[in-house]
Amino acid sequence: MLSADIAQVLIGGLLMGLIYALVAAGLSLIFGLMDVVNFAHGELLMLAMYAVFIIWQATGMDPLLQIPLIAVLLAGCGVAIYRGLIARALSVQFNRGMVQIFVTFGLAIFIRGAAQFAFGGEFRSVSKHILANRTLEIGGVFVPVPQLAASIVCLLAFAGLLAISRTEFGRALEATREDRDAVALIGIDRDRIFAMGWGLGIATLGVAGVMLGGFYYVGPNVGASFALIAYVTVALGGFGSLTGALVAGVLIGEVEAITAAVFEPSLKQIGVYAIYMVVLMLRPRGLFGKL
Amino acid sequence: MKRRTLLTAAASALALGNQAAWAADEVVIGFVYPLTGNGAQVGLDAKAAFETMAEIINGNHAPIPMLMGQGGGLPKLGGAKLKLVFADSQNDPQKARAEAERLITQDKVCAIVGSYTSATAATISQVTERYEIPYISADNSSPSLNQRGLKWFFRTGPHDEMFSRAMFDFMKDAATKTGRAAKSVALFYEDSIFGTDSSNVQRKLAQEAGITIAADIRYRANSPSLSTEAQKLKSANADVILPSSYTSDAILIMRAMAEIGYRPKAVLAQAAGFQEQGFLDGAAALANGVMSRTSFALDATKSRPAIVPANALYRAKNNKDFNDNTSRELTALAVLADAINRAGSTKNTALLDALKATDVPGDNTIMPWAGIKFDETGQNIKCNPVIAQVFDGVYKTVWPFNVAAADVIWNVGT
Repeated sequence: MLSADIAQVLIGGLLMGLIYALVAAGLSLIFGLMDVVNFAHGELLMLAMYAVFIIWQATGMDPLLQIPLIAVLLAGCGVAIYRGLIARALSVQFNRGMVQIFVTFGLAIFIRGAAQFAFGGEFRSVSKHILANRTLEIGGVFVPVPQLAASIVCLLAFAGLLAISRTEFGRALEATREDRDAVALIGIDRDRIFAMGWGLGIATLGVAGVMLGGFYYVGPNVGASFALIAYVTVALGGFGSLTGALVAGVLIGEVEAITAAVFEPSLKQIGVYAIYMVVLMLRPRGLFGKL
Repeated sequence: MKRRTLLTAAASALALGNQAAWAADEVVIGFVYPLTGNGAQVGLDAKAAFETMAEIINGNHAPIPMLMGQGGGLPKLGGAKLKLVFADSQNDPQKARAEAERLITQDKVCAIVGSYTSATAATISQVTERYEIPYISADNSSPSLNQRGLKWFFRTGPHDEMFSRAMFDFMKDAATKTGRAAKSVALFYEDSIFGTDSSNVQRKLAQEAGITIAADIRYRANSPSLSTEAQKLKSANADVILPSSYTSDAILIMRAMAEIGYRPKAVLAQAAGFQEQGFLDGAAALANGVMSRTSFALDATKSRPAIVPANALYRAKNNKDFNDNTSRELTALAVLADAINRAGSTKNTALLDALKATDVPGDNTIMPWAGIKFDETGQNIKCNPVIAQVFDGVYKTVWPFNVAAADVIWNVGT
């Protein structure tokens, strides 16, 4: 293999890895905050991608300009899901863990079915936008512009999330995460923090959906393959760690690309899960996990 | 007392219902397709195609010049109407098996038609074999399906060996016509039964034809990214890429190749995803020039006059034209209905004999085939495939050259 080919594989892995990281960020945030694994994560990503497509089709608005709109829309979704389902699921007395698994799992199946009913099973894509089908060539290595933009937005989003964690709200999030009962004593409204955490987490996912919408097709099942990787990313990086999600996302992207290049492409997931199991054996809390 | 009256009434109503079903004023046929999940659109399109055929058979209309095109139900069963029952396989072989079983035991279907993916056909046809009713494979293309010694398996369309052979015959003819021969191919196939079987045949045919296999890439279906796969194709830079992929992967690989600045010389697809509207929309301009084997030629209206009225009915229902899959599905139901009609009943043995005796000339269908006649394995031996190429987002038939609607664009060797 030529060095340009190797660079191409590594660049491809990096660009995809950053997308994986961005998809996983919201999942990690919500889990870190309240120990709830959102099994409808992929389906919410799918909804964001449909929203991008529908707005683009109706108004011709470029996906990049839709970022704030979709983020707000998805934040609303997140808050609504927390208030309507999660808060109630958490208030049960027995088997709380099981109830929250089933409630988000059921939500996932419902959203998928509803999407198929509303949008049909056809694959759709945003075919025309500022960045569409553009590619940069740097010394024989090709960098697709939509993916590059997605990577930059991903890094900005992570920077934003880390900045938020330094604000008062961020400290309240951290405090609630550490001791959800004690924070009530110092006047933090736990329920409100949880709802805002969901809003923030799902808004981040919305940003990922916008960027994916720039180069990926949309269909009712598009979330599933990304969600699976997002769960691995969160577990690998360490539950609740944003830095962990970023590093693990890139690691998974690279391992996937390298496995596909060196071995058979059909085996690329094996590389990902092999790394995952090794990390679990050596460091069960994940690369950056604190627990 | 009151409750008992109600129960009796209900029981007699049920009994009457049963009796009505036995009176053969309705012929119940089962269909197993992915109606939700990743293959859902294909399944929903299939459903529309079957309903179109049922409308042609059951309805009263001007005769359409095709098998069972006269309308008014099945004449030899006193004008009995077809009743179609659809079951959702979700593209999962185990769910397909369970649904086939349910159709047979609960809905009492006399035959099952299916099922898009070959992996689901493999399990459904085991169930139909056990219950001794026919399985009509409308659109499954794995060559291994009819070589399992099944007595109740019938495939009206070509399998991938016939398709692949046609693809290699086409490459040879294109070389003769243009003077530019394809010297190397890249195999690119998904990792289930469809892709694996397809690539096995193509590997064999390439060796026979003395064509180098520059790359042999088995990939994981529905991967989030195919960029490394595209890189491998680019490095191999074969004269012709031969992909066997479903819709989502077909869109993704065309984009992934473009993203790394690779414009393949020729893409000759084993249909499937490449024949879907979702692919033509999703890949947009990148789809232009892509060739695909197909069993259908929408533009062959001169030799197949039934295409126009049948397609109009389908379009009214589904707002699309017939494609490789939906045309085969419509034809499969026509063949089954014709066999039931000739059998004069839905009794399994009579139906089996009638299916075996099927001999329909090609011009009595909407397909560009020589006809429909099954060999002892249940494979239609008269369905010759064609090759189509995308021009401005529309597939046009380019081979065999004598039925071509457009001249093939063959960039190999330029």
